[in-house]
Amino acid sequence: MIHKLSVLPISIFLVILYFLFSGLSKDPTLIPSPLIGKPVPEFSSTTLFEKKTITNTDLLGETYLLNVWGSWCYGCSIEHDFIMDINSKKTIKIYGLNYKDKRFAAINWLEKKGNPYKSIIFDDTGSIAIDFGVYGAPETFLINDEGIVIHKHIGPIDQAYYKKIILPVIEK
Amino acid sequence: MITEVGNFILSISATLSLCMFSVIFFKKYVGINSRYTFCKIISLTISFLILVSFILLAYAFLTDDFSLRYVANNSNISLDTIYKFSAVWGAHEGSILLWVLVLSVWASCIPILSSNMPKNIIIDMLSIMGILILFFLTFILFSSNPFDRIFPIPLNGRDLNPLLQDPGLIIHPPMLYIGYVGTSVPFVFAVAVLLNGHINTEWISWLRKWVVTSWVFLTIGISLGSWWAYHELGWGGWWFWDPVENASFMPWLAITALLHSLIVSEKRELFINWTILLAILTFSLSLLGAFLVRSGILVSVHAFANDPERGLYILLFLSLVIGLSLALYFLKSKLLISNNQYSITSKEFILLLNNLFLTITTFSILLGTLYPLITSSLDLGKISVGAPYFNFIFSALMLPIVFLMSFAIYSSWSKTNYSYLIKKLGLLLFYSVIIVYIYMNFYLQSDIFVVFLALSLAIFTIFSSSIKILQFLYNSGCSNILKSIFSLPSSMVSNIFAHIGIGVLIIGITMSNYYSIQKEVVMKKNSQVTIKDTSIKFIGVKNKISNNYASQVGIFDAYKNNNYLISFFPEKRTYNIQKNIMTEAAINSTLTRDIYVALGESLSNDSWVVRIYYKPYIQLLWYGVGLMILGGLFGIFGRNKLENIK
Repeated sequence: MIHKLSVLPISIFLVILYFLFSGLSKDPTLIPSPLIGKPVPEFSSTTLFEKKTITNTDLLGETYLLNVWGSWCYGCSIEHDFIMDINSKKTIKIYGLNYKDKRFAAINWLEKKGNPYKSIIFDDTGSIAIDFGVYGAPETFLINDEGIVIHKHIGPIDQAYYKKIILPVIEK
Repeated sequence: MITEVGNFILSISATLSLCMFSVIFFKKYVGINSRYTFCKIISLTISFLILVSFILLAYAFLTDDFSLRYVANNSNISLDTIYKFSAVWGAHEGSILLWVLVLSVWASCIPILSSNMPKNIIIDMLSIMGILILFFLTFILFSSNPFDRIFPIPLNGRDLNPLLQDPGLIIHPPMLYIGYVGTSVPFVFAVAVLLNGHINTEWISWLRKWVVTSWVFLTIGISLGSWWAYHELGWGGWWFWDPVENASFMPWLAITALLHSLIVSEKRELFINWTILLAILTFSLSLLGAFLVRSGILVSVHAFANDPERGLYILLFLSLVIGLSLALYFLKSKLLISNNQYSITSKEFILLLNNLFLTITTFSILLGTLYPLITSSLDLGKISVGAPYFNFIFSALMLPIVFLMSFAIYSSWSKTNYSYLIKKLGLLLFYSVIIVYIYMNFYLQSDIFVVFLALSLAIFTIFSSSIKILQFLYNSGCSNILKSIFSLPSSMVSNIFAHIGIGVLIIGITMSNYYSIQKEVVMKKNSQVTIKDTSIKFIGVKNKISNNYASQVGIFDAYKNNNYLISFFPEKRTYNIQKNIMTEAAINSTLTRDIYVALGESLSNDSWVVRIYYKPYIQLLWYGVGLMILGGLFGIFGRNKLENIK
């Protein structure tokens, strides 16, 4: 009395279920950026302090870190001391992307905590961050001298990140 | 107080829904009439109790009772009253409460609107509703309780997410939920029918109204979400193929397919077990959507509070409910196969093709949405599928459906005279192609083939549908036009409206996608920018203080041929509590175009980055959706039979 094809729906369902269960135990934030190996998206904005125009071409010519942060973001204050450390080593330039922030709040925050950034792109609407595929602050992109994205890290960066990701690139 | 009463009411409701479910086991021991009355009263009581708990939560919001964690996290003293109310469903806990409220109301409507349905089917439907309600209530009580306390009690709340402080979002979630949850009715119907092992066409025509109703709500809900994105996000886009959007779109596609297969099942007693399967599928996709949104398993731009533990709970429930119903389908669906034959030249065959394409589309979107999960489980690396995949797949599968639409309208049940059909529609298609060709060559001066294809099909659909209805009016022979319009059978009016709506929608999507002009410019005071035929002058920026935000309002005057047209006042708002910055674009709409002005960053010396978009015919998108909804409403409220027609 059983129709042959009627086994199909439940089989498909079980397969989908397998993927759903296996996906549940994995961290979705580990999905790498589709930007890796590709040039940074074009953008044009102003710098946080000087309000000068800054575009993606201004950053070309050397390997740098692009750190996405905001004064409102808790994770950013955790990683901030470490970013100051990296900057004091003078091994790599760090740019900031100030994400969904207010200018005075951001400036205030940096004046209190110190400013490790060579220059800061001001992105109050978050539209540049959207092009970068930012899920939320903090995030850090490692970008080479030709403006190609080499690595993306979600969440606060730390010593392990510096040793594993940044050092090999600098030493090359 | 509110915490205790709220928890008490929800626990009582959970117990009652367990009672309602258990009725299914008492078939042999209790008479049908008492079981029926019992279920009817219980379902009404549950929906009343949940409504009371919902009102309690709303009361807590309106009186700023920050002793509730949920209120403290999502409201603020200075929030506008209307947003205090909509904050009730602004975050996870409250939206699940809204979900279960809607579910219980749908359930209690089943016996009230049961008309001629046999009581045993209604009882089974309600029992299964009981287990669904029980699940959501236990979910609320154990892992997402909006009545949880917070200590110490904060003096002020953390405010509602500013993104949600928008009129569009007051009604978007309730509409969407009514639609989403409405898919539970065909689901419990399908399970009840499988349990009973037989079906009849009167039941199907009864079910059709329910399905159309939830289709209408789902359509309204999805389009409101789109409309909100267009107005609020300041990107000028209205659909992003985000996992959360897909989660609402897949049930829509499935329920659209269901709507069509129900017609065939009702009129011809065909595809009945396919219809039953689709009913299960539609609800499964709704639950899957809830799971995807709540579990954080996929990364989405929609910032919901995600929690894998909640995800696990929904997933376990989903596997149980869907697994069991599909197993039941596997065992029992053979009982429902009819021996009716159909020919390749019939309406039912075209509707079968429609179902085939809609199902394939649904699965392609499901595949795209789950792709990151699949590849990562199989260790193929993590790959995300983006908008290009969805756009391509979706348009490639939609165009044949749209092409078939006109044929479905003109063909007849059982057997159609194809040579007559092709002659008639071929001519219409030819005219449509010519018109679009002339329009594109001489007026638009563009030769994009996809646009040509899409526009031709859209015009073809609009023509063929309108002519069908005009023909009907003409044949009815009534001298009074108004009278003859009202004498049209509602099923016809409803399908013609919906299909013209699709045509209009396609024109809107195609034109605005391919011919939008976008300018991102730096403007100083009194400088001008010309976009298409309109020049826009930047007058200045003034500050505005509101209850819970401060904003900078740009003033722009638009001129057309040196005549003043209109002023634009785009805003940049900074919300006091969460310090978010929101862009409020200013939009001027006419039938043929939208001009969209959004304020970007302020630069030194009084100049601003300004984004200006010119979007041709984007209004047609909303008109098209409006027509589809109107069509659906005709389907719900109109008369079914061909009466008063000569």
